[in-house]
Amino acid sequence: MTKDDRALRPSRRDVLKLGAGAAALGAGSTLGAPMIWAQSLKDVTLMHVGPSYSIFPDIVAQASADLGFKVEMQNAWTADIMARMMSQPESIDVADLEFWALQRIWRAGKLQAIDTTKIALWDKILPLFRSGTNLDGSPASTQGSLPFEVQYVAAAGDKEFAAGPTGLATMMPTIFNADTLGLRPDLIGRPVESWAELLNPEFKGKVALINVPQIGIMDAAMAIEARGDLTYGDKGNMTREEIDKTIEILTALKQDGHFRAFWTSFDESVNFMASGEVVLQSMWSPAVTAVRGRGTDCVYQGLKEGYRGWGNGLGLMGHLEGIRLEAAMEYLNWMLTGPYGAFVARQGYYSAVPETTQASLTPDEWDYWYGGKPAAVEIKDPFGAVMENPGRARDGGSFEARVGGIRCWNATMDEGEYLVKRWNEFVAA
Amino acid sequence: MQITRKPLSFWLLTLFFVLFVLFLYGPMVAVFILSFQGPTGGMTFPMRGVSLHWFADLFTSTRYGDIGAAFGRSVVLGLLAMAITVVVSFFAGLGFRRRFPGSGLIFYLAIISLVMPGILTGLGIGTMFEALGLRTNWLISGLGAHLSWTLPFGLLIMFAVLNRFNGSWEEAARDAGARPVQVLRLVTLPILFPGLIAVALFGLTLSYDEYPRSLLTVGTRNTLPIHIANLTANVTTPALYAIGTLTTLLSLLFIATAFGAISLAAKKRK
Amino acid sequence: MTKIRAAQCLASPMLALLVAFSGAPLVMVVVLSFWSFDGLEYHPDFTLANYVEVFSSPVTWRIFFHTAFYAATTWAITLVIGFTVAYYLVFHVRNLKIQIGLFLLCTIPFWTSTVIRMISWIPFLGREGLFNSTLMATGLTDGPLTFLLFSDFAVILTYVNLFTLFMLAPIFNSMAKIDRNVIEAALDAGATQGQILREVVIPLSRTGIALGSIFVITLVMGDFFIVRVMSGGQSTSVVSAMKNNIDQLYYPQAAAMAVLLIATVILLVGSILRVVDVRAELAR
Repeated sequence: MTKDDRALRPSRRDVLKLGAGAAALGAGSTLGAPMIWAQSLKDVTLMHVGPSYSIFPDIVAQASADLGFKVEMQNAWTADIMARMMSQPESIDVADLEFWALQRIWRAGKLQAIDTTKIALWDKILPLFRSGTNLDGSPASTQGSLPFEVQYVAAAGDKEFAAGPTGLATMMPTIFNADTLGLRPDLIGRPVESWAELLNPEFKGKVALINVPQIGIMDAAMAIEARGDLTYGDKGNMTREEIDKTIEILTALKQDGHFRAFWTSFDESVNFMASGEVVLQSMWSPAVTAVRGRGTDCVYQGLKEGYRGWGNGLGLMGHLEGIRLEAAMEYLNWMLTGPYGAFVARQGYYSAVPETTQASLTPDEWDYWYGGKPAAVEIKDPFGAVMENPGRARDGGSFEARVGGIRCWNATMDEGEYLVKRWNEFVAA
Repeated sequence: MQITRKPLSFWLLTLFFVLFVLFLYGPMVAVFILSFQGPTGGMTFPMRGVSLHWFADLFTSTRYGDIGAAFGRSVVLGLLAMAITVVVSFFAGLGFRRRFPGSGLIFYLAIISLVMPGILTGLGIGTMFEALGLRTNWLISGLGAHLSWTLPFGLLIMFAVLNRFNGSWEEAARDAGARPVQVLRLVTLPILFPGLIAVALFGLTLSYDEYPRSLLTVGTRNTLPIHIANLTANVTTPALYAIGTLTTLLSLLFIATAFGAISLAAKKRK
Repeated sequence: MTKIRAAQCLASPMLALLVAFSGAPLVMVVVLSFWSFDGLEYHPDFTLANYVEVFSSPVTWRIFFHTAFYAATTWAITLVIGFTVAYYLVFHVRNLKIQIGLFLLCTIPFWTSTVIRMISWIPFLGREGLFNSTLMATGLTDGPLTFLLFSDFAVILTYVNLFTLFMLAPIFNSMAKIDRNVIEAALDAGATQGQILREVVIPLSRTGIALGSIFVITLVMGDFFIVRVMSGGQSTSVVSAMKNNIDQLYYPQAAAMAVLLIATVILLVGSILRVVDVRAELAR
């Protein structure tokens, strides 16, 4: 790309203050094409479809401004995104999916593999995604669907995943987190340290689980294993016997009135906790901060058996080609450059490229969200509301502590159909 | 007309009616009150102060996405679905006054349409469009999906409306020499008008509130129910309640206007 | 143009739209129910495996009966309420304008989106909700009533709240059409109010009752959202179980269940129509 061409699009690039990032972007830019491409790039419109915890109007607005072409978004649940990908692929350009969804949907062939050399910051992505290792070099937990296991393919068009890193990725990782149980310390009144407490009769009638079969059962499995009833081979990919035993225990508890409810949507979990209906439950990080924002104390408790991890990534739909593909690659690159990472950090999610996120957060914010240090100033959520007062540290501590504690990942199981059947039974009991 | 002049049954029934209305409005009242929640308040009681904060937040914060656009789409879809449902149901209802070959098919197709889970209807319509090489679009496939929901209601309500419809008025008009179109316009339509209003109201509200069918048929633009449902995945502020209050107020306005228009039209006819 | 032809013409837009937007999906659902899905790919087979699975699983029957239980209970309650309110409006409210005004009053809550109306039950019926707080404040109970929320009670309560209008409207319509002279004649003949109700009003409103019943039953049998939220995920319905399958892309299994559901409800509706032939009243 000649200097003249770069001069045609000055301001967007300048706006992105990145240091190393900017140089990398300039060097790795995919538009090694003449002027005419720069002109028609402006006319491209990309549709990014993703869950409402992952893609936001602010982000696509900023992306559109920075990149010069239009990025639009639509919120949808993961299940509906998958259904759309299957039956109406042209209605999506960039699919924002959880990694476990790839196990279900990759072989349908609706996504195209991403050439990792075209992602400028690929090498800065955490080793967790790139090579499946923790920050300290140890292999990450493969219980469940570790993103690394579905990250690469050997050749474009392959239906099976490659066993190790290749130059072709299925999706580009963007955000992830370590999930655990949320609780009301004021209503419980004592320290809670183990997943087994989820099954403690002391909390009968005041416990809730997430009502998604493959996630709810993993939370239950963490608790059951912690209590010592059963040791699972792979909590994220249970055998029929394991499923049966787990459902049995759950059904007994349910009939005993142990569970107050099961939640499907985020706001339910917030309401349960805020209203005191429930004192201990599966929960998502932003829900905890929402409850705290109401002035009610809620803790996202790090437990000794570890966390349950999940991650989202961006996939390119197979029908993208030519200039639209180029635009999509630019968009993907932009998503790793910092603004997006900073935005979601303020919800409690981690970015796949912490380096650029750090550059986009204030030092105080970085210390709080990633460093696990007590807040030096008021910490605000992405929309400006205060969610933490000075003096308090993030539950679970630093990025290293929390991510290092991930012991299983959100998954979809081989016996998934059997699981759904038995889960339906459990709910009907 | 009163069936009886005994006051006791009247008062008992009035009490029952009042309790019923209170019951109907109960959740709405909670929504209404909570939409005035104070800035630090949550989606449950207790109220932490009273404020218009969340109404303002709704319009100023980007957290809620483009609710206005989603609302606009739902209104447009609702009005279109309403209009089409009224016209199509009206004529179909008139047609059903005779037994004709195919009437059974239409009737049971309507029932099936009512029964089939919306998520599968939506999936089917979306797949059909794809197979035909068409893009799903809120105004086309979305409208179609909504119609699959409102038309059966429209048809069945027309049955109720036409039930024991006194055809003698029409006969009298015909005997007086009126042409079929005139009979329709000057006799049938005015008499059936209240029934058509019912069909219209049902069509509008059913479409406006429709969720499962819309999920896979709106293409790339969400309607209001989908938008709100998506919000619940990430938003838990009383602004959601503010949305509820605002749309209810709007509907009150709409119904009041419609009511006023009907009264005016009735007066004019006299 | 013959009268039959004319009738067919009039009904053809309805037919066209229904075939396009309901018939096509129906065909797809039926076809899908015979395919197989091995967890990874769809095979356009002709297999009865899905149906065998659905019919032989005791869970299917349990879920169907549970949903039917919801439908039956909701139907009974909405019938009583809908009939009573309609009776009140038609026969005890003198002014026609007020009648219609009060009726419209009942429809307004529909405009607060269902999703939002459901969220609001929690602050109303929850442990620390308005209802319990009032009860405890007035001393009627010691502790909060927990069965109000996340229970079958809550589900049915919500169904009744949302669907009574569908029973009320047709019955209101039918009742309003009852010829006053018939009532007058009965009164003159010395009939009591109860007798008039039994012998005149109910039979003459049977179309409305039938239609209202069809509406309520199909709405409840087809629901997944309300039962999930209001039971707190503790209970399920046919479509809710179906949705679990659909979310994981197990379409053939869901389709088989859907066919069973449709067949069941058509049977139910058919039996209602045997009692009240809605169309016979119409076609003369």
